Amino acid sequence: MKIPIDVIPERAGHLGVVEIPACDQRTLPGVVSQRACVLYGARWMLAPVRNVIHLIHGPVGCAYYSETVRKKRYRVFSTALDEKDIVFGAGQKLETAIRESLSLRPGSSAVLVYTTCAAGLIGEDVPAICKRVSAALGLPVVPVNCPGFCGVSQGDGHDAAAAALLEHFIGRGPAGPPLENSVNILGEFDVQGDLKEIEQLLQRLGLNLICAVSGRATVENMARAHRARLNIVHCGRTGRWLARKMEERFGIPWRKVSFFGLAEAAAALQAIAAFFNRPREAAWVEKEAEAARQRALPYLRRLAGRRVALFFGASRMGSMARAFGELGMEVVLCGSQFGCREDYAESRRCLGQGTLMIDDAHQRELEEFLHRYRPDLLVGGTREKFMAHKIGIPFLVFPQETSPYAGFNGFVNLAREVAALVGAPVWRLMIPANLVEPPARREGPAGGDSAAVKTVGDGKGGNEDGTNL
Amino acid sequence: MQLKEIPITGIPYDQIKIEKVPATPEYCERPADLIPSTNRAVVVNPNRTCMPLGAMWAVLGIRKAVPFVQGAQGCTTYVRYTFCRIFREPATIATASFHEDAAVFGGRRNLVEGIRNLVVRYWPELIGVVTTCSSEIIGDDMVSFIKMARANLRKEIGPEKADQIPIVLVNTPSFAGSHVDGYDRASRAFVETLATAKGEPNGKVNIIPGLLYPGDIREIKHLLRHMGIEATVLFDISDTLDAPLKPPTSVPYYPPGGTTVEEIKDMANSLATFALQPHAGQAGARYLERKYGVRAVVGQPPVGVQGTDAFLKALRDITGKPVPDSLLQERGRLIDSLADTFHHTMMKKVAIMGDPDIVLGVTRFVLEMGMEPVALAGGTASKTFVHDVEAILAEAGYEGEPPLIINGGDLFEFEEYLKKQPRLDLIIGNSRAVDISRELQVPLVRVGFPIYDRFGYQKRAIVGYRGGEVLLAEIVNSILGHQYPDDRTQQL
Ligand code: SF4
Repeated sequence: MKIPIDVIPERAGHLGVVEIPACDQRTLPGVVSQRACVLYGARWMLAPVRNVIHLIHGPVGCAYYSETVRKKRYRVFSTALDEKDIVFGAGQKLETAIRESLSLRPGSSAVLVYTTCAAGLIGEDVPAICKRVSAALGLPVVPVNCPGFCGVSQGDGHDAAAAALLEHFIGRGPAGPPLENSVNILGEFDVQGDLKEIEQLLQRLGLNLICAVSGRATVENMARAHRARLNIVHCGRTGRWLARKMEERFGIPWRKVSFFGLAEAAAALQAIAAFFNRPREAAWVEKEAEAARQRALPYLRRLAGRRVALFFGASRMGSMARAFGELGMEVVLCGSQFGCREDYAESRRCLGQGTLMIDDAHQRELEEFLHRYRPDLLVGGTREKFMAHKIGIPFLVFPQETSPYAGFNGFVNLAREVAALVGAPVWRLMIPANLVEPPARREGPAGGDSAAVKTVGDGKGGNEDGTNL
Repeated sequence: MQLKEIPITGIPYDQIKIEKVPATPEYCERPADLIPSTNRAVVVNPNRTCMPLGAMWAVLGIRKAVPFVQGAQGCTTYVRYTFCRIFREPATIATASFHEDAAVFGGRRNLVEGIRNLVVRYWPELIGVVTTCSSEIIGDDMVSFIKMARANLRKEIGPEKADQIPIVLVNTPSFAGSHVDGYDRASRAFVETLATAKGEPNGKVNIIPGLLYPGDIREIKHLLRHMGIEATVLFDISDTLDAPLKPPTSVPYYPPGGTTVEEIKDMANSLATFALQPHAGQAGARYLERKYGVRAVVGQPPVGVQGTDAFLKALRDITGKPVPDSLLQERGRLIDSLADTFHHTMMKKVAIMGDPDIVLGVTRFVLEMGMEPVALAGGTASKTFVHDVEAILAEAGYEGEPPLIINGGDLFEFEEYLKKQPRLDLIIGNSRAVDISRELQVPLVRVGFPIYDRFGYQKRAIVGYRGGEVLLAEIVNSILGHQYPDDRTQQL
């Protein structure tokens, strides 16, 4: 099948309507990439870890930006490298900075030292310094190896972060028998109360949460994490690796589930209940799911047949595609910044052939997609939002900014909010119908390539342009 | 604390002492020797970010220009994210996508291929190449890389098309200076690369606004229009970063507006260059003066009465055009507002933080309101900041307790100092002071870069007389809102 949007030849393999796109590769230089750096990925994963000092070993900018994770600001410390440090080395400075941070925030239980491009390039032996200081201070000083360029995307930062957690925090407490009825959640970041929704559901199954990496992770609860009976992997990219390692090391089995969407959440709870051998306790699950569906019904009616395009970080693709399917929407694009084969394969399984998948789409490709397909909604991150708006496409930011989307209540929230966004009056008001003649459709080159100037139809999200599949 | 819990009648509000408890439970006394940032290696809550951001900001003010960042993806993504949050606009910035190989072998391939990819996907009218800590440490020879990129481009798309796209290099090693310096360097790089003398004066003035918001630039243009002066605004983000939602749009999307390459070329022939924020723009103005004899007017930003007066006076002196009555009316309205609200602002203790020029401009304005500065934190270390503050205080005849002046440094120092103050009524600064204002339980009036936690600040002006009124109103209302927290009607 033909790829329905124009791309430069090097990118062709990264798009597909039948197959799984090529992935896990470097970004082409010179494009407006939606990907971020390895430090970003490490911060994404580690920022919520409480009671520890987060020290960024790099220029002031890296620290300034990486304070903010999922729109929340965390306090970080930094060495703010300057010219002198670049020329003469910054090992001593790092050591001093670690000690000073601790006297500014006494009572912290560990120090996480993040490396950056500059730190990586001047070639400091950060692990050795950390080891030395750690021995002298008697508390974990943990290097996180995440110079921005050391990987293809933020995904490698997730891995570096997971490695640091596993090496230095998880299961560090005294060995002991598994704690009955206790679980960990890996790859859950507690966006807008998601974790609470999930926890409530688990509690109804009679399960206790030891720790959630990293939405609710402290040095103390990670140290006990090895005594869980089961690891629940929520976000695959950030959780799967950790789950495998914990299985090797502590023999904890794991299940990859998703709590987004009614069917998925119900299946997740039933799988967990089955693991703990209490199928009867899961009886309420079906009922609860049905009740939520009833509550969501008025919104589902408004969404039936609407077309949605999804562009995520990585592994939420598949499960979110299913959740949007449950909303009655047609998924016309499923893309990600740094998904891996497993992620794309899963999405393909649930979407079937014919849906466009893009790996590492950059801004220009997304733009063109929006013009050609004119979906009723684009779901993605803040960086895509304002471009979609300029083209006249409603947008949902994910990770969400308003209420929890996980679990049964979360699904109702999702339905309500998506219905509101798609039906927002502004998209009707966008064209000043009474003031000027309706815009004429023009065709012509926008530049040297084959992209044509597209008009946007009647503002109702019509899909005249989406037919050239 | 609810005011109705205080059973005192007959005592004016400002004499009721509301005890302030730190908002954070784990509050603890910090070791005194570690409070001044000069005593520390560690930086907490910096009041500045790195150079490339300033340069990217500048490039986005050029018509159909795309910044190309020679570094790893994060440097671009983080800045795009910052701009998105501040301006709520798409920010088209290309990345060279450095990976391990670039760190070892240098970024030549990334630049040469990157420029080509950028051109065939975007057909920009200008490319601003912005370096980062990585490329500067690796030691990329950017000048010759750009030559190679151009040669490659000529091969691929033909010499005519290739030569139509100017490529301007801005060196911004992130480990030195700050975003303010990045903008400053961009101002010089652009005029140095593009400006050309025609021998004929064009009768215009050049304005280098510095890191001012779209609303501010529109206000500057309003002043110029009323003065009847034609001007070139360099890095004019007033439309590019505050664009209407008005489909249809073209593919690829470019916002309307921006300074054109032709206008920048012609800057060599203007009457004068105004750098409205000396720390961000002075370099460009000075270069034009040295090279082409275009007079550089480097003053404080036109904030408040005296700030705007000075700007208009300089415009009048240079162009010979009188200040029209319409602007004097605006001035009169600001003066009227100052008189009417003076009893609310006088003797109020204020702390100001942000980029040095914003701090200077606002300090001068709050002194006009009779406020008393307690601490002034300019995030970018500057040779002139301390001296400028002293001059402003002397000009106002300020006799109160001298404020703490932080030149560079970080906000931890600022916060700890404020905690020790017996009284503080107001903080003026950007969103990075939100936590501090919450901790100290004083209101924050938002000005300057960055403001990401409120909507609309990028669209309004604080410069000029009308901007002064907006800022004054916000200051007064914040004081009122905070000091009269119940719903009793307080007649102004
Ligand atoms: S310098 Fe490197 S680590 Fe820092 S923000 Fe840029 S890409 Fe990320």
